[in-house]
Amino acid sequence: MFWSKIWFFVIALVAAVALTIALVLPRPAQRTLIRGEANRLQTACGVIRILLADDARNRVELAGAFARSPEIMNALDAASGVDRIEDARMKQVRDVGDTVMKSIQGNRKPDFAMLIDKRGRVVARVRLDDNDFGDVAAGRPLIDDALAGYLRDDIWAQNGTMYFVSAAPVVKQGAYVGAVVLGHQVTNQLAEKLVKSLDVDMGFHLGPDGVAGSKTIAFDHTQMQAAIAKLGDDLATDCQVVRPMDVHAGADDYTAIVARLPGEAAAKHAYYSVIIKRPAGVGFLATLKAANEDDLSFGNFPWILVGGAFLVALGLGIGLMLLEADRPLRRLTTDAVRLAKGETERMSEDAHGGKFGSIARSVNIHIDKLGREAKSALKDLDQMLGPAPEGSLGTIDLLATALPSVRPGGPAPAVAPPPSEFRFQGPDPTPAPMPARKPPARPGTPPPFRAVTTAAAAPPPPTPPPRPSQQQHATPPPTLSAPQRPSQPPHAAPPLDLFAQQAPLNLEDDLPVRGSTELDPPRVDPYFKQIFDQFVSTKQRCNESIAGLVYERFAEKLVKNRDDLIMKTGCREVRFTVYVKDGKAALKATPVKDEP
Amino acid sequence: MRLGFSVGIFGAIAAFAGASRAGTVVGKLELPAPPERGPVIAKGFLDRTENPLADIKKVNIAPYFVVALEGEAKSDTAPAEVSWELVGESFARPVIAVPVGAQVVIKNTTKIARTIGAREDPTLLTGPLNPTNTKSFRATQPAIYTIGDAGAPHLRGKIVVVATPHVASLDDSGRFEMADVPEGNYKLRVFYYDPAGEAHGGTSVWLPFSTDVMVASKAKASKTEVNAKLSAVDLSSGPASGLAPGPSSGPAPGKQ
Repeated sequence: MFWSKIWFFVIALVAAVALTIALVLPRPAQRTLIRGEANRLQTACGVIRILLADDARNRVELAGAFARSPEIMNALDAASGVDRIEDARMKQVRDVGDTVMKSIQGNRKPDFAMLIDKRGRVVARVRLDDNDFGDVAAGRPLIDDALAGYLRDDIWAQNGTMYFVSAAPVVKQGAYVGAVVLGHQVTNQLAEKLVKSLDVDMGFHLGPDGVAGSKTIAFDHTQMQAAIAKLGDDLATDCQVVRPMDVHAGADDYTAIVARLPGEAAAKHAYYSVIIKRPAGVGFLATLKAANEDDLSFGNFPWILVGGAFLVALGLGIGLMLLEADRPLRRLTTDAVRLAKGETERMSEDAHGGKFGSIARSVNIHIDKLGREAKSALKDLDQMLGPAPEGSLGTIDLLATALPSVRPGGPAPAVAPPPSEFRFQGPDPTPAPMPARKPPARPGTPPPFRAVTTAAAAPPPPTPPPRPSQQQHATPPPTLSAPQRPSQPPHAAPPLDLFAQQAPLNLEDDLPVRGSTELDPPRVDPYFKQIFDQFVSTKQRCNESIAGLVYERFAEKLVKNRDDLIMKTGCREVRFTVYVKDGKAALKATPVKDEP
Repeated sequence: MRLGFSVGIFGAIAAFAGASRAGTVVGKLELPAPPERGPVIAKGFLDRTENPLADIKKVNIAPYFVVALEGEAKSDTAPAEVSWELVGESFARPVIAVPVGAQVVIKNTTKIARTIGAREDPTLLTGPLNPTNTKSFRATQPAIYTIGDAGAPHLRGKIVVVATPHVASLDDSGRFEMADVPEGNYKLRVFYYDPAGEAHGGTSVWLPFSTDVMVASKAKASKTEVNAKLSAVDLSSGPASGLAPGPSSGPAPGKQ
């Protein structure tokens, strides 16, 4: 069992390690997931900036195309030459601008346009504040650059609205005659378009206010503004510098990253945020829930390795169990069965190792003890029944079944043992054909009566203490022979002592008794007499000698055996049976617990 | 001449004694070659790109200069009101010179309310400047004020308060004119407002340049002409180290 224990320890250790790994492994995975989410946010942030720059490039090109429109050139050239811009001129130029805007194809049509003469005055506005004109727009960096000949973009914030604007100079015949400004409002649709392929959400913000977003999420901007405030001058690196932060919106948790928007709007703390919903905590159970069939497919899971390891572990465990438990136990069982069948007299101690050998040795020790006691009992029976054939009145079974009233280490079982056969022979006796009928059952078996020589010759027999099994009988008849020994308490001595302490009996001992009882023939118990007759008959039939076999001694022995059995087993009655074993007469006693 | 030039000092000289002894000073500052345009301001997602149809216009720095005549002669000219218009996304002139004692009136001619203030003295101008409304203050001592709107960083202008009533702005060619200058000896000083330099941490100050101007009585000369040259100007390096005084011209005889 040593290696089995070692193996179980190893298995338990491996199981503990596996459980520890299973519980701990999700934590690094969660950290990796968080890092992955942060990288995804930063990547999305950078991609959005690239997309915005690409959009700005398209808008600038659009402004350039707009500025090259001949109608625009002529209108601004004419407006630049007048000291005061009249309403009629404004409307004429505005119509021109509106016409040109309508001709723009594509999805990114501007939301407004400003037409500016070379003095920096707004000649007309199209589709936004289109009745305002004449004010000087020069001064804004975008317009100053456009009037100077540059194409560029910017971000304006007006009245809580954000515009991506682009400007281009209007050049007519090599001379600057003004500039045009196109504006695209920052809308939810734009945000949705930007994040369409990124699997994130985003929002545009002006300080504490949200301007537009791909998803309507109301959360506190304080943390994001604080992150913005810590940034340096280089806006281009915001996505790499800003650390992802946790933001809350209602019951939902998000991870967000922010980056400033450039241009004029930067002075108004314009920025955009990229947000993703924070993944649920990755624990052992969550990991199991997240596993799908594909994870358990042969291509993704080392089933062969796991199965092989399982089989190896199982085989080793079973092998060790076979080697150290099953096989020794089977050998011990076989040995015990052989012992029970009488094929062997002792268990083989050398064949069993460890605890099993100890069991065999203990059994052998007890067998030796029983053997010694059985020899003593056999000697008594031989003396009582005459020279019985060898084994005919074997006492081993009879005595072996006479369980001690008190077991070592504890009391006897509360329930009575099942009826067992008291055998004078081996464990598998052949039922005697002679007593074809069952012995007569009776409520109780009185002890044998002997003739009382005289009333004074022998004292009246002492009345034995009533026993539960004898309470239904009348007062037991007194025995006229030797004074009856007092009943021994159940724990007094093993039953074999009854035989060992019995004085040797022979016919000579009975002659005086018989002679002294001639005047008063002994009372004969019909049951014992019947058993006696069957026994004598069986012995004669088996050609055995019946010399010295007298009824009184025979009955006395039966009475003692009956009393011993009743005392030790708590049975109500004992039934004796005569049978033939190996061609010799034998006698067995059967405790009767209940009424038949 | 640009539109805003005439509004530099349009406050009339209310009264002056000995008008027969006063004259007009006209002059021209020969400005250095305009510098290259500075780095882009409020850059968007992209760098600005030059258009392929025409050369980039040079920076016109003339509006960023004001001149003043400082002399011993006492002027009886009473302080006047100086108006400065907010015409949109900028002031009518980026810089104006205001005599001490003059009332400065800032008028918003646009439809957009502004919250302007003086960076050097936050109490000078308070409260919003609504469309068509005005804000004013009296210049009590020589100073330089940077007026702007915190909500519009590009909207900036300079008010230079000087202890002389004889101030003028330049037209695009660098010419200026001061009327009713009493006869006497003066020094012509030049102030340059460098917004690009200020955007990079510089300051705008009086240039370390001056030239003597002797104004004769009107009886002797109808005009006193002053010609000066600002050479080796590195506008991008700031006025303190940029403008070097050029050869000054003495009083020229009247061309009348």
